[in-house]
Amino acid sequence: MEKASHLSVIVDLSPTQWHLSAQPSNPYPLSIQSFLSQLLAFLNTHVAAKHENTLAVYGALPGKSVLLYSSSDPAPENAPASDANAFTPFKLVDATVVDRIMQEFEAVSEAEEEAPCSLVSALAKALCYINRITHPSTSAGPEDPNELPDPRILILSVSPDLSSSYIPIMNCIFSAQKLKVTIDVCKVYGPETVFLQQAAHLTEGSYIHLERRDALLQYLVMSFLAPPSVRGVLAVPRQERIDFRAACFCHKNIVDIGFVCSVCLSIFCQPVPVCSTCRTKFPIKTLQRLNASRPPGPPRQATPQTSPAKPSTNGHRGFGPELNGRP
Amino acid sequence: MPSAQPPSPEASIAQNSPHVLLPFLQSQSQNALTRLYQRPSSCLSIFRLLAPLSKQLVMNLLWLDSPVLAGTMAAWVVLDGKKLYDEALNTLMRLHILQSSGAKLALNPTFKASMRQAITCSGTTGSFGVPAQRDDKRDAPSVETLDGYAVQRWETILHYMVSSGQGQYPTKPTQGVLYLLQRSGLMASYHGSTLQITSSGFQFLLYSPRDQLWDLLLQYLHMVEERQMDLVEVLSFFFMLSTMELGREYSTEPLSETQKAMLEDLRDYGLVWQRKASSKRFSPTRLATTLTSVSPSLPTAGGSRNPGSAPGASSVANSTGINTNDHGFIVLETNYRVYAYTDNPLQIAVLNLFITLKYRFPNLVVGMLTRESVRRALGNGISAEQISPETAA
Repeated sequence: MEKASHLSVIVDLSPTQWHLSAQPSNPYPLSIQSFLSQLLAFLNTHVAAKHENTLAVYGALPGKSVLLYSSSDPAPENAPASDANAFTPFKLVDATVVDRIMQEFEAVSEAEEEAPCSLVSALAKALCYINRITHPSTSAGPEDPNELPDPRILILSVSPDLSSSYIPIMNCIFSAQKLKVTIDVCKVYGPETVFLQQAAHLTEGSYIHLERRDALLQYLVMSFLAPPSVRGVLAVPRQERIDFRAACFCHKNIVDIGFVCSVCLSIFCQPVPVCSTCRTKFPIKTLQRLNASRPPGPPRQATPQTSPAKPSTNGHRGFGPELNGRP
Repeated sequence: MPSAQPPSPEASIAQNSPHVLLPFLQSQSQNALTRLYQRPSSCLSIFRLLAPLSKQLVMNLLWLDSPVLAGTMAAWVVLDGKKLYDEALNTLMRLHILQSSGAKLALNPTFKASMRQAITCSGTTGSFGVPAQRDDKRDAPSVETLDGYAVQRWETILHYMVSSGQGQYPTKPTQGVLYLLQRSGLMASYHGSTLQITSSGFQFLLYSPRDQLWDLLLQYLHMVEERQMDLVEVLSFFFMLSTMELGREYSTEPLSETQKAMLEDLRDYGLVWQRKASSKRFSPTRLATTLTSVSPSLPTAGGSRNPGSAPGASSVANSTGINTNDHGFIVLETNYRVYAYTDNPLQIAVLNLFITLKYRFPNLVVGMLTRESVRRALGNGISAEQISPETAA
């Protein structure tokens, strides 16, 4: 028989975004209730496919991330009563996920400014969980039938990109590559997320931006259900054009063109004399040359300092005072 | 990093041959299968037995309402996987899960409805087993009791086969089991004497317990017709058992007559535990709940894995419940000496089939793979692949 597979689902539970998604003004409004019912059907299908399939569900809330359900946890004390019409593992998954989500929503504080959704911390926790289960501390031998060869993570995202999370996301992507984890992304609502596109591309997962939100379950089943070993045969959708923009390390702006440290490859939007990550000092001549070659910035309003009498060197010497101050 | 050629997608998926039950199901009529698909637990269990690509195709079609053009479906698979796709399609059609009308394909409506009910935990058929009321006087059997019972019944059968009826094992399998063994060709009675093991019986002993169990169940299914039992009822009971929870008691009230009659047979094989024969409740053992999975169906030894352990030896370790936690339970040296740390008479008897035992200690058995012992095994019908360590799966 084929090997078991593990699926970790990270659900973006940002209340503001879900509220916006349910507005009837959207082409295909999707409320969180109908989203959850379709998601639960998808989770049940994953558990149904094989007895040994394991599942972990994380919720990313404003300011924190929680583990909603994990199949390696022992069954809770007040487990739902066994029902003749339902397969017990399904009921357990459904009940646990829904109860925990309700608890978390009630616990969301009524602050003025909603904290940004912590998708990255959920991703990091999911990777730690996968690391724990694929490398058990007491090894049971080289052919352990419970070893999970192809774990995967599915991110269901509704929020826009957070540029301050660029560095953590890239680190998560590198760890995922080491662990051979496939990251799939399903953009349910909201603008395109550059970083998640890169995550899916670099780990050979699929990225889907939903157009027909009412057909969410069909999208999920067709694209994300198959374990990576079967995906070689199925025609899984991939993005053709990936937006590979990055965020600069100094201001966390997303940049198209930037300056890269030659030692540690950190990205900056303007030349700096000392790299903030690896503390390499750059020679002054290089900095001057780089400044000269900077693409011209947006036109600046006339200030008392800049004298209109030197039009030709204004742009080039715009950052001169900074450099001249250094030894 | 060594640059090995990644295995082709076909190779990685087509390693396993289809489950043994599928050809039997495919030989049934469409009506019988449609009746079987009325129960969600049967649909779920059969779904689990399918190959991965077949599962994906079924799931793709499950939530669609209208039939799909055959060409559209073929576009779901890349060109390299065409052969696998055709095989999967063929399997599904023969199981009458997939039906074609003209150029369009759709799921069998009964299967579709039941599968949807199974996934969404709805429906009213009660096909997953009605749990019994809590008994105040007695507690439910613990998992250890169930495991112990299953191991004991299973070992009785195997022991009887190994020692060909003259064994010193205290209990004998019941008449029903003996009849089944005889009918399946695993044992035969020559000249009217007691049953002796046949060559296919020898091979049977070296299979994993799951394969052994399915072998016997298939034989049971073949005999169902002449015993005037309804095949669909029998199959749905098997599938219901495979979806039940270990350690929970279920009531016998909603079972049909056929299924109640089956309970006695299932008790003999160790699939089901009942406090007494007339009890109104029963509990499935691990043998039953893992029918459709690859988890070990009996509590197994901790570490019988080491380079050089024969598959026969590791199936010996798996088939009976020893709880050795140390590695190196069976050691095979390059001079063909074998050391087995066990005192279980069944395991020693199985080893005796192809090894000449030399010394026996309270916790250790030493033997040698000699030419005579291997010839004896081959003469009894055991194949070289079953003994040879190089072809360990």
